[in-house]
Amino acid sequence: MKTLLNKQQLKSAGIRVAGTLAIPVIVIAVLFIACAAGGKNMFPYDISFTNFIRGILTLMLTTIALSINLGSGRFDFSLGAMALLSSVIGAQIVMQTGGGAWVMLLFCLLSGAVLGAASGGLYVLLKLPPIITSLGVTLLYEGIAFAITGGANMRLLGTDTDSITNSVAIMIVFIVLFLAIIYFVFDNTKFGYNYKALKEGQKVSVNTGIKEIPNAIVCYTITGVLMSVVGFLNNTFTGTIQVSGLNFGSIGIMFGAFLPMFIGGFIGRFSNDKLGYFLAAVTMTLFSMMYSAFSLTNSVQSIISAVLLVLFLIYLSNEKLIKDIFTGKHLRDYLKRKKTPAGAEG
Amino acid sequence: MKKKTLAKIASVAMATTLAAGTVVGLAGCGNSKTKIGVLVADASGAEALGFQNYYTKYIEKNYDVDFIYSAELDTAEEEKAAIENFITTGCKAVISFASADRPAQIQQCQDAGIYYAVATGTLSETEYNGGEVAIDPTNPAAGTKKLPAAKDFKYYVGAIGPSLDVEYKAGYDMGKWAVEQFTASTSTAKHKFALHGAGVGYRLDMHVQRTAGILTALIMEGGASFTTKGEDGSDLSVNKFFGEDAVHGILLGYLYTNGTVNIADFSSDTMELVGYHQLWDFADTTWQQNLSNVVAANPEYVLCAGSGLDVYGQATNNTNVKIADVDSFTEAYGSAMQSGKVAYLAGKYSSSVGPIFAAVLNALNGAPIRTEKNEALALGQGYWVATSYADFTKYQNADTADAPIFNKSLLDTVICNVDAETNEVTNKVSYSTFKAFVEKDRTPN
Amino acid sequence: MENVETAPEMPKKGMTAEKKHKIKQLLINLTPVIGLVLLLVLYLIVGGIRGINFASGFEAIINQSIVVAIVATGAIFIFTLGSFDISLGASTLVSACAGALVYMSTQNLFLMFLVCVLTAVACSLFSSVLGSVFNLPVFVTTVAMMSVLMAVAELLITSRGGNQLVASGAGAADSLWLKILLLAIFAAICIFVFSFMKTGRRQKFLGGNPVCAKLTGISLKKYAIIAFALTGLGVGIAAFLTVLRAPTVTSGTAGDVGMSIFIAIVFGGMPISGGPRSRIYAAIIGSFTITFLNQVLFFMLLGVAGADGISQIVRAIFFLAMVYLASINYRTKNLPR
Repeated sequence: MKTLLNKQQLKSAGIRVAGTLAIPVIVIAVLFIACAAGGKNMFPYDISFTNFIRGILTLMLTTIALSINLGSGRFDFSLGAMALLSSVIGAQIVMQTGGGAWVMLLFCLLSGAVLGAASGGLYVLLKLPPIITSLGVTLLYEGIAFAITGGANMRLLGTDTDSITNSVAIMIVFIVLFLAIIYFVFDNTKFGYNYKALKEGQKVSVNTGIKEIPNAIVCYTITGVLMSVVGFLNNTFTGTIQVSGLNFGSIGIMFGAFLPMFIGGFIGRFSNDKLGYFLAAVTMTLFSMMYSAFSLTNSVQSIISAVLLVLFLIYLSNEKLIKDIFTGKHLRDYLKRKKTPAGAEG
Repeated sequence: MKKKTLAKIASVAMATTLAAGTVVGLAGCGNSKTKIGVLVADASGAEALGFQNYYTKYIEKNYDVDFIYSAELDTAEEEKAAIENFITTGCKAVISFASADRPAQIQQCQDAGIYYAVATGTLSETEYNGGEVAIDPTNPAAGTKKLPAAKDFKYYVGAIGPSLDVEYKAGYDMGKWAVEQFTASTSTAKHKFALHGAGVGYRLDMHVQRTAGILTALIMEGGASFTTKGEDGSDLSVNKFFGEDAVHGILLGYLYTNGTVNIADFSSDTMELVGYHQLWDFADTTWQQNLSNVVAANPEYVLCAGSGLDVYGQATNNTNVKIADVDSFTEAYGSAMQSGKVAYLAGKYSSSVGPIFAAVLNALNGAPIRTEKNEALALGQGYWVATSYADFTKYQNADTADAPIFNKSLLDTVICNVDAETNEVTNKVSYSTFKAFVEKDRTPN
Repeated sequence: MENVETAPEMPKKGMTAEKKHKIKQLLINLTPVIGLVLLLVLYLIVGGIRGINFASGFEAIINQSIVVAIVATGAIFIFTLGSFDISLGASTLVSACAGALVYMSTQNLFLMFLVCVLTAVACSLFSSVLGSVFNLPVFVTTVAMMSVLMAVAELLITSRGGNQLVASGAGAADSLWLKILLLAIFAAICIFVFSFMKTGRRQKFLGGNPVCAKLTGISLKKYAIIAFALTGLGVGIAAFLTVLRAPTVTSGTAGDVGMSIFIAIVFGGMPISGGPRSRIYAAIIGSFTITFLNQVLFFMLLGVAGADGISQIVRAIFFLAMVYLASINYRTKNLPR
């Protein structure tokens, strides 16, 4: 009996590991084979690895930020606007005080938290559907970013703000740190348990005494913090903050996070969704490196990404059917139905 | 917070908008200045803001005009809506920095009876002179259509700025300068350089011309060659023996067709194109990776058709890579030239948009400046080129917000007077005088 | 309709209080219309003081509202089902490209119209069928479609070796009356289907209570396909009018349509969750409200530095305030999702 249990445990662990690693490993293998066949190198220079790590970090944070609220049925268009405005505030302070990357990051984080909390506060105050509140918040934050700079793009040249975005070590620490914090907060605290309860059954949870309002505000605050890091990393990399994207010009950043969110959710079934988001970010960033290696145009990149998203969704939505087709169960059932005369079962 | 309180706040927010509108509207009452609408394609760039400051902070102070700026315009429909708004507001003229559909802008202003002028650019040959153009460039069977000649439009004042030829020349001069740097170098190894096409991916004419200019110079002056497809689809190696015009034409075709540059198509015994990059997808990992690849290839220079400092400013920190760019004489470029980050800058200066304002004001005063054949203006303006911080400082000091090159006393020499009592124009400016005024080399010594 | 708070307690002091309450409810329901009227009044006041040309002003307002009004009117059907489509702007662009290409080859306006409509309906149906056949969440499908359509548009535009398609000559047919006529016809069709046919009623039922609707035998797939087809028709008409208005089509064409329809529909008083409170006229009210607001802010902020940013801030506040007031009768006990 003991041996059997061990075997079962072993099998279960094997399935969990395989399920967790299947997508990243398959994608990595396919991409490396494709590059080898095409004579391309995804990491031609040392800096490529820095970009890879930055890509993973920004995509992972965006994906987590998107999933926190979307998982609870709260669609948030304002992710990009929070990244933009927190960067503008951080950069303004740095340019006036002469601080470096860490000072800017600190103020980006603080402003991100405030912006997130404000967005959440508005949501609970107005009690409008979150998608509507987020439309208003997006317009508001984009407008404020534009007004703060008088409509001028900001240049961070000479401010020494790029030391974090170009440091592999720091970014790896950030990946670990944010994953650990998010894992701890959402999987090991009262807040996290409440969050999950509210996510699964809002009405029942509220009736059992879980306070939804503070939970929602904290979710938005965390989202603001995560997006402020994304804005900081992207903007300090180029040193230029573009504020001209009024009228929802900032929303594009969230669309790239949908596929990793679904992949992460799938991986999460075998292990943990946060780990899933990380592995999904690794997978998708590798795609970006491949696009660069093959010098693919934006149009081709868009089509590939969209097709991948649709195919993965098709798989997720029809998983059982697909499994049945592959195992032959579907065919067997079909033949069985055909053999059974109509009404015989009734 | 109670629902009633919130409802009151929401009502107050709406009511405040109403009240503020009335107050602001009243505040603007009685303003009798002539309104001029300005169409902008870039509302946030340093160069664009320099032009805006000159108009709103210098010209408005010194002349009886008010400039009304549009939002940033990307498309022909947005341009149309902006002109509609200008017409509604009572603008008497439009100065355009936007170029999604200039013929449509001109026609719209002509129909509305308001003056129209192009700043920092010119019309194409066909747009200006009119004539037959292919309806479908890739399908001759679709036939041709006749474009009206903008030069004959009563309300078309004209265009003053770098023509596409000047844009090509700006690129050519940069390429020629790069070849000179390589030639002057003592190193016998192949000289590495990279190219930044900026808006080539969107087929922006200005950037396509500059990129074609850079490559043409490298071929004509540096002895390089470029492989493209011939008319029969076979590989065609273009070199200096084709002649400059042919090389230019072939490269334009290559850029418009491909919307990018394949570095393998460039070959030379002395130079190596080690990277090509374009567009502005700052938050995209693929774009960031392409940018890093260009810098990591360690070129001596990145020759940019535009936006060089925005794209490579931070990425070239702690490297020896230098930027050559076409942009404007702004503070950021000054610092970058001082630090050696930018080695070459072809730029416009903020008050270079002064002459087109003078031309518009003459038209508004009832004395439009037309050529001897009674046609609209089509005058070129070149770039100033700085290859050192000393050059840059000289140019920057020559054109400041308070003391621009085209200051009031200078502009007044080409702006007609209107007698306040009789309303008659007393000193109409001739075309030759104005042409000489615009084309005079004002490069500071 | 889960957790809808009971309407404020009925006053017990007789008919007068009851009447007052009814009037209050009516006013709240009419908030979008009141907002539009107030903006019209403000437009007249500010415009009068600024000395604007009202004739050209009203023409501009119609010109700048009509494309969004048409697309949004069609999109009401999708919203009614409690779903939404974020790819409508991209779909308008692709249809405009296809229409422009056909006009460039044939110089035939009718063919251009036909191609615009067929392309748009095909794009819409593709999203819908993809979602229905494979049981995909509609919104995410439309996110993917948006990327694909933008890429397709880019390919169509650059197929002529430049950065634009110029259907010159098509602009000659651009007229205010044609736009009004097309909007009127399309709105009439939509109102008929929405309010006088079982299709509209069933769609409202599906949006309000999908489980119950399904149990009564109403097919979500069928009505989703009808909703997307009608939306596609609107997108096609809007694409046609876009090319007539600005025959130079670039990758930025109709760029703001996708998000503007969201704002318009919500501004017009349509609940984002769809269902029985859906209003077909919300799109038209909303799109004109947006344009009036934009115009008023434009006149108010003439000559103000950073006016675009300030204008957007005011629009955001106005938007949230108005939507809050309009939906005050429908607060839920729990936070809405």
